[in-house]
Amino acid sequence: MAETSQPVEGFTQATDAGSPAAVKNTTPVYEVGFHIIPTVGEDGVPAVLEKIRTLLGDAEIISQTFPTKRALAYRVERAQAGAREKYLESYFGFIKFATEREMIPAIEQGLRSIHEVLRYLLIQTVREDITQAPRRAVFSSDRLEGKTIEKPVMAPEKAAEVSDAELDKSIEALTG
Amino acid sequence: MKKEYVAQFQYIDYKDTELLKKFLNPHGKIMPRRRTGLNAPNQRALAEAVKRARFMALLPYIVR
Repeated sequence: MAETSQPVEGFTQATDAGSPAAVKNTTPVYEVGFHIIPTVGEDGVPAVLEKIRTLLGDAEIISQTFPTKRALAYRVERAQAGAREKYLESYFGFIKFATEREMIPAIEQGLRSIHEVLRYLLIQTVREDITQAPRRAVFSSDRLEGKTIEKPVMAPEKAAEVSDAELDKSIEALTG
Repeated sequence: MKKEYVAQFQYIDYKDTELLKKFLNPHGKIMPRRRTGLNAPNQRALAEAVKRARFMALLPYIVR
């Protein structure tokens, strides 16, 4: 696998080395997802977000979402200043950015030191928006996905015309 | 055995919990390959995404 990827990189460097586009494409892309503690309140979130953005320095911001309040899937606890803090909700947001590999330890250190950041996840990713990536999903279940099974429409039944005499006759035949 | 999902994706985002939930059983465990119908690289990507989502408390570790 490494054999196939190396020539491609070499080709890019040989043709576009030094150009801004080439630098942009070779810079690794990272994404940091973070939880901000709910005690900062709605007004305190932009300040914390600004702290995180300052940590990134001159990194190129590719995309980001403003942290929104959401319930956590389980209770997150942490020890802070001799007390145990417990959280059931937080403000969750993420920033996708491109920066040099050497910057990452400093960013991690900074994130760890921000008291308002309850938890974070820093991962290497791709430049494209993967949540919007087209995907093919085939549901091969026998059930009809997303459709309500309705009663088939049938022509209304017509009552047969029967005379009184015929009706009497048939009743007599039944009663014997 | 009938496969429930046949989905192929280039990348799986750990934040896309609605998609990830389709590959979990009612206890919150990752379904096996025979059930998801994913190829091996995709199943590994799915497992990684689910584990990241669990760490970030977007998905539960266990559902009783």
